[in-house]
Order: sequence, then C-alpha cells, then structure tokens
Amino acid sequence: MSALGYVLEHYVVLSALLFTIGAIGFLVRRNVLIQLMSIELMLNAINLLLVAYNRQHGGPMTGQLFAFFIIAVAAAEAAVGLAIILSYYRLKASVHSDEADALKH
Amino acid sequence: MTFDVVYGLSPLLVVALGALLLMLAEAFGKPNPQGLAPTGEVSDAGAGRAGELGMGAAVVLFVGAALSLGVWLAGPDNLVGLELTRPYLIWDRFTVFVCFTLCLGGGLSCLLAGGYLTEHEIDRAEFFPLVLFSTVGAMALAAAGELLTLFVALETMSLGVYALVGLRRTPRSSEAALKYFLLGSFAAALMLFGAALLYGATGRTDLAGIGQAIAAIGQGEGPGAAQVLIALVLVVVGLAFKVSAVPFHMWTPDAYEGAPTPATSYMAVAVKTAAFAVMVRVLLIAFGDERLTSWASGWPPVLATLAVASMTVANLVAGRQSSVKRMLAYSSIAHAGYALVAVVATIRSPAAEGSILFYLLTYTVSTAGAFGALILCGSRGKEAVSYEDLAGIAKRHPAAAMAFSLFLLSLAGVPPTAGFFGKLYVFQAAIDAELYVLTVVGLLNSLVGAYYYLRVIVFMYMREPAPGATLAVPMRSGYVASALVIAAVLVIALGVLPNVTLEWAAIATVGRS
Repeated sequence: MSALGYVLEHYVVLSALLFTIGAIGFLVRRNVLIQLMSIELMLNAINLLLVAYNRQHGGPMTGQLFAFFIIAVAAAEAAVGLAIILSYYRLKASVHSDEADALKH
Repeated sequence: MTFDVVYGLSPLLVVALGALLLMLAEAFGKPNPQGLAPTGEVSDAGAGRAGELGMGAAVVLFVGAALSLGVWLAGPDNLVGLELTRPYLIWDRFTVFVCFTLCLGGGLSCLLAGGYLTEHEIDRAEFFPLVLFSTVGAMALAAAGELLTLFVALETMSLGVYALVGLRRTPRSSEAALKYFLLGSFAAALMLFGAALLYGATGRTDLAGIGQAIAAIGQGEGPGAAQVLIALVLVVVGLAFKVSAVPFHMWTPDAYEGAPTPATSYMAVAVKTAAFAVMVRVLLIAFGDERLTSWASGWPPVLATLAVASMTVANLVAGRQSSVKRMLAYSSIAHAGYALVAVVATIRSPAAEGSILFYLLTYTVSTAGAFGALILCGSRGKEAVSYEDLAGIAKRHPAAAMAFSLFLLSLAGVPPTAGFFGKLYVFQAAIDAELYVLTVVGLLNSLVGAYYYLRVIVFMYMREPAPGATLAVPMRSGYVASALVIAAVLVIALGVLPNVTLEWAAIATVGRS
C-alpha cells in the first residue's frame, strides 16, 4: 500500500502505545482524576484497535459496533466514577489516592 | 417460540422489571416521616422505607430464584425458542444454575440490608434497585456467549456495585468505593484490550467462533498465535481481578471492609459467583483448544499458581486480622482459591464444572449467612467489628452466637455442613484430574483456615469481654433473622442431603466441543 494508505500495523502499534501510556499513567499518577482520565485513554485505545481490525475483517461491522458500545459504557462509568470522586472529595477535601489510607489492617 | 424465550429468560426479566418498579416506588412513594435522616441532609422519598423496599427486592429476587428452578425443571434444552438468543446469551443448564445461586445470594443480601440500613440510619433506599440491576448484569454475565454482551453485562454488574460500596457517606465507605472503582475499571480495560486483540486475531466475537478460529491458528507459531496468548493473559488478569485472586486482590479487603455490610455480602457472593461462571465459560469455550488447555503451553499452570497463591496468602493474612469483617474478606479470597483449583481441574475432569457450581452455591449460603450473623451481632453505634467485640456474646445472646458458629463451621468445611461437601467435591474433581499437588495444598490450607474461623467461635463462647469495653449489642430485626433462618436451613440441608443438588450441578455443563 502507499505511504498514505491504510496499514493495519500502524493502527495496532498506535493503539498499543496509547494503551500503555494510559496504563502507566494509571499506575504512576496519584491524582484520582488523572487516573480516571488514564482509564478513558485506555478505553479509547481499545476503540481505535477495534475500528482498525473492523476495517481488516469487514463483514457485519462488529468492531465498529463494539466501539460505540464502549463509548456509551465509558460515559456511564465516568459518571459513576466522578460521583464517587466527588463524594470522596467532600469528605476528605483531597483527590490524591495516596491519602486514601483509612482502610488498613 | 416467543413463549419459550420469555419463559426461559424469565428470571432475568422479572428481576429487571422488579428493579424498574422499585425505582418508581422509591421515587413516588410516600416518605416515612419518622425515618428521615436526622441530619436533614437527605429527604428523598425512599428515606425511612428501607425495610419495606428491602422486602420487595428480596421477594423479587426469590421469585427470580423460583423461576430459575422452574426453567431448570422444564429443561432449557426443551425450550427450543431459546436458540434465538444465541450466541449472545447462552441459556443452558449451567446458566440457570448460576442464576439460581445469584438470585438467592442477592435476595439474602437484600433482606440483610432491610434490617441493616434501617438500624444504622443509612436508609438510602436506592440500595435495592442497584442490587437488582447488578443482579441482572450478573445473570447476563453468567450467560454471555459473546464478547460484547460479556462486556456490557460486566459493566452493568460492576457499576451498580461501585455505587453500593460508596452508599454510606463516611470517609471509609467513600474510600472503599474509590479504590474498588479505580481498580475495577482498570481491570475491565485490560480485559477489554484482550477482547479487542481476540477479535483482531480471529475476526469473531462469539466465544464458540473464537474457539474454532484459535484451534485453526493454534498449529502455527505465527503472529496470530502470539496475539492470542497476549489476549489470553489480559483476559485472565481481568477475570482474576473480578474473582479477587492473589495477586490481584489488593482492593478486596479495603472494599469489603469499607462497604456497608449487606453490600459486602452481595459483593462476596454474587459478583464472585458471576465472575467464576464467566471465567469457566471463556476459558473452556474460547480458550478450550488442546494446546491452550495443556499443562505445557496454556492457562492451567497460570490458574494453578493463582489458586495456590490465593489460598496460601489469604489464609496466612486472614489469621492476623483484628477485624472480623476484614477476616471474612480474606476468607473470601481463600475461597476463590479453592474454586480456582476446580477451574484448573476442568481440563481433565468432566465433573469439575459441576463441582464449581455446587461449591459456589454452598459458598453463597455460608458467606451470606456469616455476614448476616455479623450484622445481627451489632446495633447502631455498637457494631461488632473486632474479635473483642464478640467476646462472651454467646452468654448474652446465644441465638446470634449459634447462627454465627454454624456459618463459620460451614466456611471452615466441617461436616455435616454445606461447606464440607462443597470442598469435598472440589478436591474430588482435582484428584480425578490428577492434580495431586493442588489437592494437598488445598487440604493444608483448609486446616490453616479452620484456625481463624474457630478463633471467632472461641471468642464468642470462651472469652469474657474486657471490663469497661463497649459491648456489641445485637440488633432486633425480623429481616435479618429471616435471612439467617433461610441461610441456615440451606447450609444444613445442603450438608445433610447434598445428593440432589449435586446431581443437578453435575449435569450443568458449559457444553464444550
């Protein structure tokens, strides 16, 4: 294919990179809002992967459909997550996961 | 045709419909003036009515369990119309058995919540629609035969439970919800990336189709095979998070301890049961290829390691806890380890799938009962948390202590309780599958586990409370008492007459090719 054409591997590599950035962000950052954003980045990397594979496999657009479902579910997840973060912030006035240490044995 | 589908899926449909009705009842019902939160902060119509709404939710879930029984007796295979839902929902005997267990566990948790929320003036009646919606997700998850359905069902179940954990407006409850939410979503994302890679490697999203495509790829050593392996690892990690197997258990003690106790009970029984059901189906159908189920190049050694780690670590740490609730959290991790032994055994023993189902049922009634007894032993401001709180409770409140002892003995696996036969059949399946090392490790761990269960009984019966200590005063609640009676009857019935249930579990298989 031409340089500007569709090459599956490029999308797979890009998606894997985005997913890894998201995963590392989730593991190293201590601000829960940024951790939530990292999870969203991971989900979007998955969307990219699904859409790229869908182009390769063709057929009944399962990959594209899957991506739409993920977008919708990710929105619901973000809503619940932000609500939990908000209720935590109201009680502790902090959004740092390091300070979430009330529960220890 | 339509009748078959509606009747077959009736457990799922009834619970979903019940959840919608309860939401309406909660929003439009008449508030109970006596039950309004004393802080005046919340004045939604559901406040003060946790008891009656809990009763409603429990009835809906028990009806769901009864309908599962009805579908079982009619035979899901005879309901021809159920073919329509394939491959999205695979409504076989395996699914129906799990649905029964889920509805039972959910119903018991709702009864517990009916008493607990009123007593502790949490009184947020949205607890019950959340439990029902989560149960719908859990049932769909157990039935899921396709990746997209699996993902949506998993999130339906999890989102409800995240909210349940954070229901109580205290720093501990919020913190538990935060930790559970972050790690749960992270695990779901990992699993989803695995699912996307599987779709890429095979072009299919239904588990059976993936299984066939993997069998076709399996011979070569090309990039396709490597991609399948990466996907397998990611999916197993995601599932291990959900069943809280060591080393993916970090969130479990915190989330279980911080959550309101009925929510803990629900997480321990329903979420774990559904996660095990989907784990068995995914591993045996999608990754059921000969190479991937072999000891040399597949998932069995990985799961065996998880099983050994879960049993050993959880049992050792559980003995060192000072909070009984946290001890029960570690105990649930250990029980995930025993069930994982049975999952490994499925590779060579046809009876192993049945043993998992039977084990999950016995675990559900014992665990829900144990958390229920812990709820019963405390009342507002005088909750039973540590071992010391329970000291000498047998003299003051013999009934509560006796109920607690029964469930702890069942968890420890002492005959003639349900827990004994649950463990027995798991280890029998493991021996059938020639997994001798796993069996021995499991048996040794059961002995270690008995230590911390018996320790609670020793405290209840043989210790006196320290002078001047705040005594835990058991609460009075018909809801909690009835949940305990149901659980106790089942623990004893499954322990004395396990045969029928076991025969049923034995014919409930996922139908691998």
